[in-house]
Amino acid sequence: MSKAKGRRQTHRDGEHGMPRRKLLQLGVLSTVAAPLLLRAGRGAAQTGGAQPTAPTKTPTGELKNPAEFKGPKFKASGPTTISFWQYVGFHVDAQKFIAEEYRKRHDPNLSLEITAFPGLNEQRVGVKSALAAQSPTPDIIAIEPGAYAVDVSTSGSVLDFTKVFAEDPEYKRGFWPNALELLTINGAVVSVPAVTNTVIVYYNRGLFQQHGLEVPNTLDDLKKIGAALNAKGIMPIAYPAGQDRNFPIFPYYTYLGGIKADKLMREADLGLKPWTSPELVAGAEFVEMMAKSGLYAKGPLGIKEQDAIQIFATGKSAMFWGGQWMRRSIRAALAPTFDLAIFPFPAVAPGGHKPVLSSVGITLTVNARSKYPELAFEMIKALTGAWGKIEYTRNLGLSPNGPISADAIAYQMQSLKDPLYPEFLKLQPTGTTRVIFTPAVEEAVTQGMQALITGQKTPKAVMESVEAASQKVGTRKFRAG
Amino acid sequence: MLSIAARRRWRRHAAGYAFAGPALVILAAFLLYPIGYSVWLSFHEWDGYTSRWGPFVGLENYRALAGDEVFWRATLNSIVFVVVRTPLEVGLGFLLALLLNRRLVARSLLRTLFFVPVVMSLIVVTIIFQRVFEPNTGLLNTFLRAVGLGAWAHPWLGDPATALSAVIAVSVWKNVGFSLVILLAGLQGLPQDVVEAARVDGANAWQLTLRVITPLMRPILALTALLSIIGGLKVFDLVFIMTRGGPTYSTEVLATLLYREAFELNHMGIASAVAVILVALVLSIARVQTFVLDESREGGKA
Repeated sequence: MSKAKGRRQTHRDGEHGMPRRKLLQLGVLSTVAAPLLLRAGRGAAQTGGAQPTAPTKTPTGELKNPAEFKGPKFKASGPTTISFWQYVGFHVDAQKFIAEEYRKRHDPNLSLEITAFPGLNEQRVGVKSALAAQSPTPDIIAIEPGAYAVDVSTSGSVLDFTKVFAEDPEYKRGFWPNALELLTINGAVVSVPAVTNTVIVYYNRGLFQQHGLEVPNTLDDLKKIGAALNAKGIMPIAYPAGQDRNFPIFPYYTYLGGIKADKLMREADLGLKPWTSPELVAGAEFVEMMAKSGLYAKGPLGIKEQDAIQIFATGKSAMFWGGQWMRRSIRAALAPTFDLAIFPFPAVAPGGHKPVLSSVGITLTVNARSKYPELAFEMIKALTGAWGKIEYTRNLGLSPNGPISADAIAYQMQSLKDPLYPEFLKLQPTGTTRVIFTPAVEEAVTQGMQALITGQKTPKAVMESVEAASQKVGTRKFRAG
Repeated sequence: MLSIAARRRWRRHAAGYAFAGPALVILAAFLLYPIGYSVWLSFHEWDGYTSRWGPFVGLENYRALAGDEVFWRATLNSIVFVVVRTPLEVGLGFLLALLLNRRLVARSLLRTLFFVPVVMSLIVVTIIFQRVFEPNTGLLNTFLRAVGLGAWAHPWLGDPATALSAVIAVSVWKNVGFSLVILLAGLQGLPQDVVEAARVDGANAWQLTLRVITPLMRPILALTALLSIIGGLKVFDLVFIMTRGGPTYSTEVLATLLYREAFELNHMGIASAVAVILVALVLSIARVQTFVLDESREGGKA
């Protein structure tokens, strides 16, 4: 087709269809409208997020929450909504319940809007983008202890709780000191824990009794039990090392906790001591020994949490090594007759104590650019204070962020009805906290432990590679604890 | 001042520009700007938490990557992923398309069944296959034991030697239906006179497929391969959910490395450098493939 013909064709289209001027106007209009529509869409998206189900009701029994639900120092002067981004969906009901009670009892103008991201990774990406954009939303941020706490703290993105604690020392006393220590970066208390957890060994008591097995006290006992179970075609321990980056490190933390070398590991993490010290290498040797011992169900790095629960629930394994946070999903998978019990990992050194890994779960902090920092602090105090912590953990069956009274436990047990809950509470204060602050070191430890489990590297080589990663980071720009 | 001819020319094209405007705005906002920004960031150091990027470091991030063993591992894995996946996906898709282009019982049902994995949620697919590959009670090992091949039972995702192959297998299973549909549409659009003429000339089924249908299908095969290659290079979600790049980086690909550097290690500059390399890789392959496609078309005309 010639150019002239093409031109004529275009002209005719304009004449017989829509006049060219109208076409032009329509085009210009749509060009202008597109960004406006996009902006409107963005605004709408920000109000979204996973919505929780109906709040949990207070138990109807005779006992009441024995703690006082203290009123706030600051209240909203008019209807105000503060936003909260978190990453653990099953906490939402408990948080909503406390926030609603807080609104009813103390501050009718204040509402809490919770956005529950599907997981930590997604929430962290969202938070990072919001902080980089200097957004005042979210007002309250859920963070994990360790590298996440360091990141938000050293970038000046969150507020310090020191002043809040100075004004209300009783509130500070309500937390486990070692949990707060984990959250203190460069002298500032970055966030406060909502709950704590323990990593322990769940076991099938019925199966143990059936085969005449006793709860092991030492590592040798555990190995003997493992051999006996293997001989009967039962896998000893279901260990979901493929679940996430934390799981492959559990055995390492356990050993170091067992020989009380966790402080040494912390110093190595902060670049103050070498990772190649005999104690830390011995921890790697323990990981290797466990992987080769036949104690784990085959291919632990290929096993996810749900698979391990299934293995355990169907009686194919006698033990399950995991966290308190899995209690609900384990219970849900078990037959009603299943006799579930727990024990701390046996002593790794002869005569030593039985190591329990404690972990601070979700922790809460305030965005430094929040428009309502005082209200956000008050809401966090409601969620984590004396009254809130009892309600929070009553709902979830997780350990509270600090000690609670026997009356409080009795009140919680009215609705929890789980004999394991008090057992977890007893173990919690004895635990070794498991956190690595330096991301590159955490990455090297994770990869190193995977290499030990798969038999690709020797313990010494693994710790040398962790040390190399640590040295590459250089002097840390923060101090912890 | 514009000449009359220039004004006429402008008026003639103005409506077109105006209509293309919204698309261009969106393209610029969501594609060109992020690419440009990533290139800019790749020359800087930034942890991603502050509103302004850190100091200009020139090519330092690229130098760091060049000296990083994990980067080369991820690059190799990405290449292996593409090199293994694409022939399997396109080859199987083509074979299935040839089969399902014939008169078969339950042909429509089979076409639908092969397409089901494509429309299934990737999350669902990965969760199913995690269960399939589970070493102790997983479907695959249970099947192997049941048929007397228990010695082959293996921790597929937990062993660095087999993890990447397992992930590739899932990717092929998920995407082969997509290739099948494109290739089937291509087969149905082939000039039937050419095919009939070959039959009249005495070509058997093998000769017909190899000497007539395959050359005619070359542009479509090239397009399917291009889509598969680009999809393979960009793969993230499947790997991230199934293995998170492990164990010991055995399934780490460029996209998971990018994520790790950006959001776990807070090296936004290095992550941007990985992104730039990935984009450059995808664009170069797309360019080569477009060239091949053009050649195919030229060949077709001749």
